[in-house]
Amino acid sequence: MGLVVTAALALTSLTVYNRNERRLLNLRVRELNLVLAATVPSVETPLASAAELAHATGGSAQKFRAFMSPYVGNGRQFASVSLWPLATSRLAPTVVVGATPVLASMPEKARQFFAHAKPSGALNLTGILGTAHPALGFEFTAAGRKPGFAVYAENPLPANRRSALERNNAFSDLNYALYLGHSRRNADVLVTSVARLPIRGRQASDVVPFGAGVFTLVVAPKGSLGGTFFKDLPWITAVVGVLIALAAALMTDRLARGRKRAEQLAGILDRVAAENRHMYTEQRSISQTLQHALLPDTLPEFKGLRVNALYVPAASGVDIGGDWYDIVAVDDRRVLMVIGDVSGHGLRAATTMALVRHAALAYVAQDSRPATVLAKLSKFVNSGAHDYFATVLCVLIDVDAHQLTITSAGHMAPLLLDGEHGEFVAFHIDAPVGVAGNSHYHEATVPVPANATLVAFTDGLVERRGEVLDVGLARLRDAATKQQLPLDELLVKLSRDLASEDHQDDTAIVGIQWQN
Amino acid sequence: MAELDDDRAAEVVIDTGVDPTGAAIVTVSGDLDISNAATLERAVASITAERPERLIFDLSGLRFMDSAGIAVLLDAAGKVNAVRLRDPSTAVRRVVELTGLTDVLSIES
Repeated sequence: MGLVVTAALALTSLTVYNRNERRLLNLRVRELNLVLAATVPSVETPLASAAELAHATGGSAQKFRAFMSPYVGNGRQFASVSLWPLATSRLAPTVVVGATPVLASMPEKARQFFAHAKPSGALNLTGILGTAHPALGFEFTAAGRKPGFAVYAENPLPANRRSALERNNAFSDLNYALYLGHSRRNADVLVTSVARLPIRGRQASDVVPFGAGVFTLVVAPKGSLGGTFFKDLPWITAVVGVLIALAAALMTDRLARGRKRAEQLAGILDRVAAENRHMYTEQRSISQTLQHALLPDTLPEFKGLRVNALYVPAASGVDIGGDWYDIVAVDDRRVLMVIGDVSGHGLRAATTMALVRHAALAYVAQDSRPATVLAKLSKFVNSGAHDYFATVLCVLIDVDAHQLTITSAGHMAPLLLDGEHGEFVAFHIDAPVGVAGNSHYHEATVPVPANATLVAFTDGLVERRGEVLDVGLARLRDAATKQQLPLDELLVKLSRDLASEDHQDDTAIVGIQWQN
Repeated sequence: MAELDDDRAAEVVIDTGVDPTGAAIVTVSGDLDISNAATLERAVASITAERPERLIFDLSGLRFMDSAGIAVLLDAAGKVNAVRLRDPSTAVRRVVELTGLTDVLSIES
């Protein structure tokens, strides 16, 4: 009898397993579709911002180069970005950041492409360019600006269109091919994991909208889908010119759902339960890697200032947060600091954060006055349907004049430290960006003592359940003034001492210190 | 692993209704934070879907609210013309003040 029950259970398990494999495959292709579609803004926003900037500055090479440089190079979104004035008989780029675009050596192709590209503010894709070193191009022309500028970016396709990471055994259980357009012809493949196309056997496919064009995606399992997941996603998306991190974001999102599914199956298959634990750990580390990838990898150095920043992920859970910061040089003597927090958690908050962050940087490049930056950012967020808001603090620092110009969209005031004395900067705080009807922002100018330190932070540092916010703020001030520490040690100490042990929110801290 | 989240969830009680003047009322009691804001979000979504003229959050029994709670209130304020917060505690009031939202979420005591 026991044997019969065992056999029946085993059969049931097998049936459930097979059904789940089929379901998982369909889910995977849809999820990968989401990954790719979700990456459009992170390709489009920098290019759209650069197109607006080019229009506003009459095609200033210096502004274009300064704005685009952080996006171009190894491991970044684009291999090459160039600016093309369209009102000219001989099409050629006037500014090139990064590699020389393949398109520049193909005048006829360039003419056709720019003539047929939709000028309505959509991301356009070239075909596959070149034969020896094929590349894929993206173009963006600002809507309603004629005759204007086109911003063109290019990324090389991998050699033989094969994923370079393919031999890594972590990628051993899934095959995929990504094609340009609705095609499944070998000539149109952008990247694939297999040596021989087309992919055969059990498979699923989907059409992915991407800007004004589409991709066609085909995936097939090599073995069990209950095993390791789509780890080549970062690579696929890197090919289409996207922050590797965003792929990781979706992977995290998907892993979160995968974990739920795994939990449901756990009663039937022990194997899944073991994997469940593994996935949880994996997922958390992906989230952390992602958040670090989304934030600036190095902070610029400024004469007369010491700057430092810290990001602390939530202590529990696997969510990605929406906190970010940026510090950029405006000119020889002025520095602009932005810190913000997009509402919500998980993939959507991270994607939205990338969008808002890039948009803010673009507005800073146009005009660095904080109230102007936030007014434009607010207009940008409110111009479309949105279900998020963001608190943003924008501080323009005049290093030599020892002066801050500060505007806050719902973001908590920074702490200004002068030796043993510490005060939160007192000024009018406006509503967060994304709150309907708000378009005016106040700007305050504040003098700064010599050797002062400015500490800006997100709410994770001071919020604790069941506590009036002022108590958390006082705790921060006390901790920051108790002893005099070098800036980097101060930030580490604050993050250690203040975040409660089970803090569920992520935290960002930025410190700026004047030096003599 | 499922209980990992539950362990840390704050307790919140949500009641919905309509007052004699026709305004939708959402009474929120307990502690509202990132661990349970989604509960309120669902309750509020079903109310804003019916497009009430006015929406009142009765917060007299709400001890604590963090920025995740603010997000839900703001979301409602974007969908309903008049959103008011009734009788918030000092802790809740301070969150609204410190995020520059006193004009968007009017407080009545």
